[in-house]
Amino acid sequence: MKKIFNLLLGVVTSIGGFVEAGSISTAAQGGTEFGFALLWAIAVATIILAMLAEMAGRIATVGKRSMAAAVRERFGFHYQMIPLGAELMIDLLLLAAEIGGVAVAVKLLTGVGFQWWILPVGLVVWLVIWLGNFSVIEDGVGLLGMVTVAFVVAAWRLHPGPKAVAAGFVPSVPGHDLTRYAFLTVSIVGATVSPYLLNFYSSGAIEEKWTEPDLWINRTTSYLGMGFGSIVSMGVLVTAAVVLGPLQLRVDSYEQAALMFVPVFGRWAVTLFACSLGVGCFGAAVEITLNAGYVLAQSFGWTWGVDKPRRDAARFCAAFTTVLLVSVVIALLGFDPLQMTLISVALTVVVMPLIVLPFLVLMNDEQFVKQHKSGSIGNGLLAALTILGALMALVVIPLEIFGG
Amino acid sequence: MDVVHDVLDKHITDRNGREMGRVDGILLDVRPNEAPRLAAVVIGASALGFRVNPIVGRWVHGVEYGVGIGEERPIRIDFSHVAEVGEKVKVDVTVAESGAETLERRLREWILKIPGSR
Repeated sequence: MKKIFNLLLGVVTSIGGFVEAGSISTAAQGGTEFGFALLWAIAVATIILAMLAEMAGRIATVGKRSMAAAVRERFGFHYQMIPLGAELMIDLLLLAAEIGGVAVAVKLLTGVGFQWWILPVGLVVWLVIWLGNFSVIEDGVGLLGMVTVAFVVAAWRLHPGPKAVAAGFVPSVPGHDLTRYAFLTVSIVGATVSPYLLNFYSSGAIEEKWTEPDLWINRTTSYLGMGFGSIVSMGVLVTAAVVLGPLQLRVDSYEQAALMFVPVFGRWAVTLFACSLGVGCFGAAVEITLNAGYVLAQSFGWTWGVDKPRRDAARFCAAFTTVLLVSVVIALLGFDPLQMTLISVALTVVVMPLIVLPFLVLMNDEQFVKQHKSGSIGNGLLAALTILGALMALVVIPLEIFGG
Repeated sequence: MDVVHDVLDKHITDRNGREMGRVDGILLDVRPNEAPRLAAVVIGASALGFRVNPIVGRWVHGVEYGVGIGEERPIRIDFSHVAEVGEKVKVDVTVAESGAETLERRLREWILKIPGSR
């Protein structure tokens, strides 16, 4: 019974923790500019994320190593330093963007300029990690994140044509702005398949002490949780398509994106949008901060874990605190949170083949997964994904310049 | 034993199972007309830096001096102290003896001053 409860909690918190700055902004832009045509991109990106998360969870559950640790051990530091450096860079930028996202949300609620909220938001993120333990952080943030279901409610109440929505799940070539369409497709994948999510997920499996009999929990949480979570992202896209699409604009600020709730929630629109954005970004900020600590500690072999007494994991605590501080400084410098999100999303796509390739080796190494190796379908999908990742990495920078 | 596959970059634990870091480098004793001998396992960010590039290594070593641990880094543990090579590399010394804990200990003193540290 307890396991079923934990499973349900895991699925619910995955839904609550799914959307954040990257997914909200890319889905809102996609919906506004191309109607439902990019729904397929969210679906494909979610399948990729769920597949990789399940594998990362399997390596953590069976091999007792997080992704960062497994890659260092199997591939050596020469290989690892590139994805590690990139992941830290992405963590820093995305964390600054998420903190900015929360600050914009508080600004929408209070009317006080978002720069004033960056420092307090950073402090609250740190306090939650400092005073919390893993389940409090994971479940608390995830349950609060259920407010983001407002996007699904909005999409539902707008009564989009079921046929038009269904057509969005079939990849199509748009009649206009092909470069922009390609850019948003790649951005949606980059925003969804974030490396921090994979390492955070595998570290969570170790924090929660999953063992081999728990592999079904891993499978269900990754596929169901992320599958349901993606419905929230799709809700953002559909709502933006119906409400903002006819306005012929490009969403280049969260204030603009907030308008998508007006026809459904009336005078509560801005409040609800701000709560959804704020809670989504706050949850991601906590996870990214922790992940930065995880990645550094696991790569260098320090004691880590948010459930451990702080004094027993001093370097881990110092690492996540430093990363959070640097991100707060970046956010304070006044870069636009939405721009920073898109840069970190592009960077994610650039390193994607280096993130995916190790799965192909690790999932076939008994030292890491024992008899739970990847089958021929899994290996085929991983190989295809590595090639797709390499192709996307090649085109993302030109697309960012010409379509971003 | 394949030294690069089985030892390098592996987690290293002390006699009591406490984490010491990772095997960041391996020292070989190379003498003329003799087979190379495994001399020591090395722990420390500067050892990693030297693996990437000597300039990076020297720069990281400078940072280690900056935070007051330069004298003892990188930490060398004689290969004769390697007790077991498996999922982790176990050595027959304690983390305190090796000096691998200096930075952790110093940071701990800071952390204990912060309210709410458990």
